[in-house]
Amino acid sequence: MIGGLLQLPNDDARKIVFVALGLCLVCSLLVSASAVLLRPIQQAEAALDQQRNVVVAAGLGSPDMAAADVAASFAQLQVRVVDFETGWFNDSIDPATYDPRAAARDPSVSSALTRAEDTARIGRQARYATVYLQVSDNGLQRIVLPIHGYGLWSTMYAYLALEGDLNTVAAVAFYEQAETPGLGGEVQNPRWQASWEGKLVFGDEGDVRLRVIKGQVDRSSPQAQWQLDALSGSTLTANGVSNMLSFWLGEEGFGPFLNKLRREGV
Amino acid sequence: MARLRNWLDRLEPLFTKGGRYEHLHVVYEMIDTIFYSPPDVTRTAPHIRDGLDLKRVMIYVVLATFPAIGVGLWNTGYQANVAMLAMDVSAIPGWRGDLLGWLGIGYDPASIIDCFWHGFVYFLPIYLVTLVVGGLWEVLFAGVRNHEVNEGFFVTSMLFTLSLPATIPLWQVALGISFGVVVGKEVFGGTGKNFMNPALVGRAFLFFAYPADMSGDAIWTAVDGFSGATPLALGAAGGMPAILGADITWLDAFLGKLQGSLGATSALACLMGAAFLIYTRIASWRIITGVIAGMVVTSLLLNWIGSDTNPMFAMPPQWHFVLGGFAFGAIFMATDPVSAAMTNPGRWVFGVLIGVMTVLIRVVNPAYPEGIMLAILFANLFAPLIDYCVIQLNIRRRTRRFTGSVQ
Amino acid sequence: MASTSSKVVLDPLVDNNPITLQVLGICSALAVTTTLLNAIIMSLALTAVTACSNGAVSLIRHHTPSAIRIIVQMTIIASLVIVVDQILQAYAYETSKKLSVFVGLIITNCIVLGRAEAFASKNPVGLSVLDGLGNGLGYSVILLIVGAVRELFGSGSLLGMPVLPLTTDGGWYQSNGLLLLPPSAFFIIGFIIWGVRTWKRDQVEPAEHQIHAVHRQEVV
Repeated sequence: MIGGLLQLPNDDARKIVFVALGLCLVCSLLVSASAVLLRPIQQAEAALDQQRNVVVAAGLGSPDMAAADVAASFAQLQVRVVDFETGWFNDSIDPATYDPRAAARDPSVSSALTRAEDTARIGRQARYATVYLQVSDNGLQRIVLPIHGYGLWSTMYAYLALEGDLNTVAAVAFYEQAETPGLGGEVQNPRWQASWEGKLVFGDEGDVRLRVIKGQVDRSSPQAQWQLDALSGSTLTANGVSNMLSFWLGEEGFGPFLNKLRREGV
Repeated sequence: MARLRNWLDRLEPLFTKGGRYEHLHVVYEMIDTIFYSPPDVTRTAPHIRDGLDLKRVMIYVVLATFPAIGVGLWNTGYQANVAMLAMDVSAIPGWRGDLLGWLGIGYDPASIIDCFWHGFVYFLPIYLVTLVVGGLWEVLFAGVRNHEVNEGFFVTSMLFTLSLPATIPLWQVALGISFGVVVGKEVFGGTGKNFMNPALVGRAFLFFAYPADMSGDAIWTAVDGFSGATPLALGAAGGMPAILGADITWLDAFLGKLQGSLGATSALACLMGAAFLIYTRIASWRIITGVIAGMVVTSLLLNWIGSDTNPMFAMPPQWHFVLGGFAFGAIFMATDPVSAAMTNPGRWVFGVLIGVMTVLIRVVNPAYPEGIMLAILFANLFAPLIDYCVIQLNIRRRTRRFTGSVQ
Repeated sequence: MASTSSKVVLDPLVDNNPITLQVLGICSALAVTTTLLNAIIMSLALTAVTACSNGAVSLIRHHTPSAIRIIVQMTIIASLVIVVDQILQAYAYETSKKLSVFVGLIITNCIVLGRAEAFASKNPVGLSVLDGLGNGLGYSVILLIVGAVRELFGSGSLLGMPVLPLTTDGGWYQSNGLLLLPPSAFFIIGFIIWGVRTWKRDQVEPAEHQIHAVHRQEVV
């Protein structure tokens, strides 16, 4: 039968249909086989990549550490989900399957922000966020919060790690952005990110005071602990960073949660 | 003068074909034609007799920039001296300070002489580097191609220098003019074949390659550690109130007393240059008028539309005209005869396109407070297309008239 | 045979380079060359796709009805591209995050379809695979040069290793931001073409017009 079809001249309609179908069959087998066989590896890689970002932000490792070390460091962290509506943990949501980016697009678990609320220019805010806690016998050591906001050209994603006092910055890691290379793109510069360490987020009245200023921080100034050096030539990216801090650590974001956590502990 | 002619004539055999310095002929020719008209004549069609040759065109353009240079140098020094007074700095370090001290020049913002010389010590090294490096490329290409070294480079080098900030590192100047001359002009065949203005190509290269040295707040005043935003940057952040709040009056801006490039801040000086260029018919008044018309219409339109979040929408046209490099670009850069449109209706379209794009970039684009450079380069790309359309439309119109008259 | 096959592989490297002579596949060359690593991965992906698609197209060339041959070729190429993309996501996750879109765009890369249609549909399997390999390598050579230049002068490093210490990290080299923007690849490819055509004069296209000698006395 197949041999007979192949014997037909190339412009015969039956042969055209046969070749087209045969090709589609072979190609689809090839494509689905590769997708199915490789999926476990891909998922492991994606999870590892995300863990690596968290581990770096928590100050437990460097970006080029080996996969096994990433997993070991990550295992020291508790992964939990925070509900912005209640301002507290919601353990009914499994952090392993919860995808915050997909949730932000899903109307059932996210809400559109009004222009006045949306200082970080993210459009929609998911109701839940995954946070990472490092807890020891002495209580909370560190907490890693996911934050994102719009800069000049792109949405910038970062993890912000706070010390146990929930005020001092332990580290920050911007892991995804498409700002101007060399200017706004310098948010990913390790030296600049290192300058965040030890800064304070909240002022005495509990307001979010940490922001990127214009020019260099005057170290002798009493304000210096709430100020970050400007990224030269990129005012708008810097404003985006400041806005994203004030949004995510303020009332709409983790503010109420952090207050409660500070009062009640883990 | 006769003695000079004799001397040049005596040297000539050394530089012609077969002479000892044959490969340096371009240099000989360049020097010879600075003093004397070229002896050779046009031998094939078309024959046009005109007292205005390329050399005179180019020298006129350089002459026309003199008011802008003068005001620009004064303003550069003035801004620096005012900043030094405010920061309590009494003298500038390095050879610049030594030279000014040796000349007995002080740092008094009120003294025109002090300000001018202070600006001059920043202008001179930038201009010299531009001339030497760009000139080397010119001579190299002219030598290899057996072309003449062209005076157009004097215009390019002057416009390039005037469009830079005073604090630009000299190695960047060298890199910028190299890129402008080689990629902006020579790779396309040299003078007359470039489709973009080489000075702007060089500036755009620096703008994108080293944005920290070409934009921002810290670079416009030649005093270390002084930060002063250009009015356009102020406007982008806070609109007209921010500009007026910084004590900048329209008259200051018109005269050129504000933060900005070396020689591109004064609309008045540029207008003086424009009057000269239009009177001598070097620059196309259609282009200049078109740029201004496009800017006025677009900015009035944006004023009328208004915006709650973008304060630049409210900037009126008379301010657009005096701020940044608008006047300088419209008058000296847009009118470059090689890269602009060459048909008269095309020049209108070309000019209007620049004006519209300048305002759009200034107001709507979030990243660049100044838009004239990008607008001119953009319009340069469209100039051949504009000319093509004008010519095709003209052909069609005349064909129709002809067939109409036959029937 | 040996000389034919080596010619098929070596010709596209310089003499008939798909980028510098045929000016094909420029889009991805602009987009993926900010770092050398990206350029390497993209080169591997494209070379693999071109070689395999050439082989597959050649294999069924006697049974491909000419009425649907372009669709057949596109189907083969698209399937191979998806497979390559899946492999990258599994084994080079970091890079694939940045390259994913452009790997997908290999489907539309003129080099792949061009070689399938112009060469593989008329030649035996072995030679077609070699032709695909050669053209993939020709593309790779240019991509690697562009990637190396852009990473070295744009970020001061090669394969992520610092070579020129940057001023932002306390060194002396001020990185050139233009090289991190896609248009810079145009300039670099332009310079490469200039260089190649100065070396191999026969690649220079004939002039479209001639300029009369008008002014010069001693035009040579």
